[in-house]
Amino acid sequence: MSLYEILGTLETGFVFGLVALGAYLTFRILDFPDLTVEGSFPLGAAVCAALIVTLGWNPWLATAAGGVAGFAAGWATAYLNVRFRILHILAGILLAISLYSINLRIMSGPNKPLLGVETVFDAFGGFGVPTYIVSPIFLGAVTLVVLALVNLFLHTGWGMAMRAAGANPAMAEANGINVGRMKLYGVGLANAMTALAGALFAQIFGAADAYMGIGVIIVGLASVIVGTSLLSSRTILQATLACIVGAVLYRFAVALALNADFLGLRASDVQLVTAVLVALALIAQYSGSGFKRFFKGADKK
Amino acid sequence: MIEIKDVHVTFNKGTPLETKALRGINLTVPEGQFLTVIGSNGAGKSTALNVLAGLAPVESGSVRLDGQDITNWPVHRRARIISRVFQDPKMGTCEDLTIMENFALAHGRTKPRGFRFAIEKDMREKTAERVKVLGLGLENRLDDKVGLLSGGQRQAVSLLMAATGPSSVLLLDEHTAALDPKTADFVLETTRTIVDRLKLTAVMVTHSMAQALSTGERTVMFHRGKIIFDASGEERAGMAVEDLLHLFKKTQGEELSDDSLLLG
Repeated sequence: MSLYEILGTLETGFVFGLVALGAYLTFRILDFPDLTVEGSFPLGAAVCAALIVTLGWNPWLATAAGGVAGFAAGWATAYLNVRFRILHILAGILLAISLYSINLRIMSGPNKPLLGVETVFDAFGGFGVPTYIVSPIFLGAVTLVVLALVNLFLHTGWGMAMRAAGANPAMAEANGINVGRMKLYGVGLANAMTALAGALFAQIFGAADAYMGIGVIIVGLASVIVGTSLLSSRTILQATLACIVGAVLYRFAVALALNADFLGLRASDVQLVTAVLVALALIAQYSGSGFKRFFKGADKK
Repeated sequence: MIEIKDVHVTFNKGTPLETKALRGINLTVPEGQFLTVIGSNGAGKSTALNVLAGLAPVESGSVRLDGQDITNWPVHRRARIISRVFQDPKMGTCEDLTIMENFALAHGRTKPRGFRFAIEKDMREKTAERVKVLGLGLENRLDDKVGLLSGGQRQAVSLLMAATGPSSVLLLDEHTAALDPKTADFVLETTRTIVDRLKLTAVMVTHSMAQALSTGERTVMFHRGKIIFDASGEERAGMAVEDLLHLFKKTQGEELSDDSLLLG
């Protein structure tokens, strides 16, 4: 891998760190398997791109607007679940497919190029450092700030209530927590982070695309699983850090797998590589000695 | 003061599985009274407790607490005035959170939660003082996750949590049933102390008739969705477990003859 490739991988790793934090919030904290992210990742990108290109918005504001749109999408999923008792996974799928159409409307087409317009990365153009070095640093900083905010939030009265709502809903209700409301805000927040990631990703990539959401859910989940199975996740801080480390490591694993010529993999194999990596991480997590037992069992046979 | 007026609860209404869990319950528990509730399986005692907690759908009738009509209040809203200890020790606490964090949650029950840190400065010392009373050494383990505690320890913690803040009613749902006899005695003794000291209005559902008579100051018995027996004061003081058992058997016998009538 060249330095350029390494920095590029780091860049996407940090962006997907935000997705991983969202997945941590829904899957681990709220116990709400949320598939909305497949739609909210491109939604953030589409809203951001459309606002910058069509309406000439400031890129920072447009990026924030992408995040707000993501919040609304997550809120809608949770609302279908809380208010109408639609199964959480199904509610997420419903939102994700409807967002596919919505995104096409927002972009008035399958994609929206961001070429020749000002993006948030242009703000750092003036320091004489090339963008491919500045942008991973900037994205790392963004991800760390979000991580810090998530950590602070989960230690407030509200955040603690959210953790209880996910871990033990009956106990949470008995302690005066409106569990439904916690889901609304929590899933909203997770999708806001995902959409923010989508908006940033579109600006790195140079375009928003209706198909860019495919596999995002599994990438987010993979990051959480890889991170928390490699690192300790006893405290919230450790767990959230593990998610981001997991996201970066995961990106490197995919990049290395695709780069290794002897494997003969192509860029189009990325989803397959993802699935295999997640399966391996899950086997490893199944027990500390999951791999060992697997091979031992094979020996005995 | 709790006032339950002519409450009916029917599960699976309109289906072949229709069960009339409560058929016109009237019960008034004055402020500060410790009421124990007994009854056989399916008698409706747990449903009655769930009606108070807001978990059972009330078909008709009303539930009032300190003069307010709470019949249609959701569980989390009632929680501001009603606290609860579950039968399953795992239910009353959050095992992924530390003891301290669980107490912080319990503090949020009676006062609004905000974006301030859940664990405030003086909360730690106060909590340490409170758990010290249990004599289980938990004051040194405030940062341990609750999942590391035994069932009895967790139930004791649940009980203390339920007594956090100025609530007026404490509901105990067979909260010693899942514990070994020694731990059960300890948790029951702690319950008596807490209810006494905080002058709570308490309702305890139990399977043990001895426990029902030796705890609190009034006992009611449920049978097939109705209250068939209500004793307090001298009448109750003069009762022995045998008397209750006799009453219990009599109602069970009636049930049998009822069934034979239906079948025959």
